[in-house]
Amino acid sequence: MLKIQSISKHFGGVKALNELDLEVEEGEIYGVIGPNGSGKSTLVNVICGIFLPTEGDVIFEGQILSENPTHQRLKKGIARTFQNIRLFPNLTVWQNLWVARNSVEDIKTESSFYRWFGKSSIVKKEIEKMLEFSNLGNRADELASSLAFGEQRRLELARALATKPRLLLLDEPAAGMNKDEIRDLDGRIRSMQLQGITIILIEHVMELVMGVTDRIAVLNFGSKIAEGNPQEIQNNDAVQEAYLGYSEDD
Amino acid sequence: MFTEFLQNCIDGLMIGSGYSLLALGFTMVFGVMKRINLSYGPSIMLGAYFGTWLYLNLEQNAWLVLLGTIFGTVVVGIYVERLCFRAIKSDSTIASMVSSFVIWMQLEEIAMHLLPERTYPFPAFFAAKTIEFGPFYVRSEHLTMFILMLIIVLILHFFLYQTRQGLAIRALSDNPMASLYIGINRSKTLFLSFFLVSLLGGIAGFFILSTDSQITPFFGLWATFKGLIAMMLGGMGSLPGAIIGGLLLGIVEANVFWYGDPILRDISAYLLLFVMLVLRPGGIFGQSIVLRQRLAQERV
Repeated sequence: MLKIQSISKHFGGVKALNELDLEVEEGEIYGVIGPNGSGKSTLVNVICGIFLPTEGDVIFEGQILSENPTHQRLKKGIARTFQNIRLFPNLTVWQNLWVARNSVEDIKTESSFYRWFGKSSIVKKEIEKMLEFSNLGNRADELASSLAFGEQRRLELARALATKPRLLLLDEPAAGMNKDEIRDLDGRIRSMQLQGITIILIEHVMELVMGVTDRIAVLNFGSKIAEGNPQEIQNNDAVQEAYLGYSEDD
Repeated sequence: MFTEFLQNCIDGLMIGSGYSLLALGFTMVFGVMKRINLSYGPSIMLGAYFGTWLYLNLEQNAWLVLLGTIFGTVVVGIYVERLCFRAIKSDSTIASMVSSFVIWMQLEEIAMHLLPERTYPFPAFFAAKTIEFGPFYVRSEHLTMFILMLIIVLILHFFLYQTRQGLAIRALSDNPMASLYIGINRSKTLFLSFFLVSLLGGIAGFFILSTDSQITPFFGLWATFKGLIAMMLGGMGSLPGAIIGGLLLGIVEANVFWYGDPILRDISAYLLLFVMLVLRPGGIFGQSIVLRQRLAQERV
C-alpha cells in the first residue's frame, strides 16, 4: 500500500533519513520505533508532504507522490495525528469534525446545497458516528480548548478519521497517557484496523507498540536497523543494543 | 443639552458605521493571515478612482460607479494578494507589512496618473435628504450606510459560521498547521478571504465616498488610518470588535467635533487609541481573545 523507496532527507549536514526503505501492507498496523532523533518524525513529514525528500520516492497505492502538497495527499487518503495535539481551539467539537469531513469531499458529485453549506443528513450522521467513536457525544457543542487532555487526543483521532483516510499515521498518540487511557487507545486502534484502515504507529510506549502492531521497523540514525513482528524485534540483538535497554527498564 | 449629546451620538453611529466597514476588512485579513494589510485603504481608493473614471468617461450612473468601484477594488485586492501576501512566506510578517506599504505608494501613483486632478465628484444613489425622528435628524445617505453595515455584518456572520468555505476560513485562522492536515487548501482559502475582503472594501468605499460626494487621493490614507484605529480599538482579529470599535470612534469624534474644536476631531481619534492601548492593549474584545488564545495555546 505504501512504499518508501530509498528515501534520504538531509538538513544541511544532518542526515535525518538515510536511504530508508519501508513497505507497509494494506490493512496492517505497522509500528515504527527508534530512539529520539532517529528520524521518525521526519519520516511522517515526508509521507505527508511537509518535507520533500532529498532523494527517493514515496509510493502510495502505486502512485508516486513526489510533489503533491499535503492537502492533495489527504484527498488520496493519507491522514495523521500529532504528537502535540493540534485542534481548532476556537471551534466547537462538532465543528472540528465538520470542517475535517467537509474539506476532503469531492464536491462535484454533491448537490449544490451541500456544496455551499456542507450540511446534509449523511454528513450529520457520520459526525454523529465519529462523536460516538470518540466518546464525545455529550460535549459536541463545547469549544475544543475546553476539553481535557485525554478528550482532546480522542477528538484529534476522530478528526483524522473524519477525513476518511485509508492510511493513518499516528505520531506518538500515547504520549502523556495513563495505563487506562493506553488500553482504551489500543482498542480504538484495533477497531480502526477492522474498519479497513492501514495504520502506521510511531510510539515510544512499548506496551502499546508490542501489543497492537503486526510488524515493527526500528530506526536508528535515519536507517532501518531491524524489521519484523514484535516477538522478533524484542529478541533482536541490534535492537537491544540501540534501543531496548530503554524499554526493559520501563 | 442632553438632546444635543444624543444627536451627536446618532451622527457618530452613522459615520462610525463607515469606519466599522473599513475595520472589518482589516480585521479579517489580520485574523486569517496574522498580517496587517496597510494597502487596504489605497486599494479601495484606486477602485473608487476606477469607478469615478467610468463616471466621467462613460455614463453618469451611480450603479455603474458602484460596480466599477467593487470591480476595481477586487482587481487591486487580487494584485496585492499576489504581490505581497502570496509571494512572501507566511512567517515573515514584517517583510509583508513593508511590502504592503510599498504597494500603497504604487497604488497612489497609479491613481494620480489615472485622474491627475486633486478632487473629483463622486455620485450617490439618492439626493441627500434630512430625515426627522422627533427631535433628532439623520441624513439619508448616512442612514443608508448604517443599514448597509448591519446587512453586511449579518451576511458575513452567516457566511463565516454556516457555510463550508466560511468554516474553512475560520479553521485556517484558528490553527494554520492543523488546517493543512485536514485537507484545507491554504492558498485557495487565503485567496477567497482576500477576494471577500476586497468585495467588502469596494462596497464600503462607494458608500463612504457617496456621503462625501467627492474623492481625493488622500482617501487611501484616510481609510487605512480610520480602519486601523477602529480595528485596534475593538481588538485585532475580532469581528464584533471591528464593529464596536468603528462605532465608538464615530461617537467620540462626533462629540469632540461638536463640543470642542473641529480641528481636534482627528487628534481625538489618536488620543482615544492611545488611551485604549495603555489601559487595554488587546482592545475591547481583543483582551479576552488574547487570554483565551494564550490558554488555548497552553492546552492544545
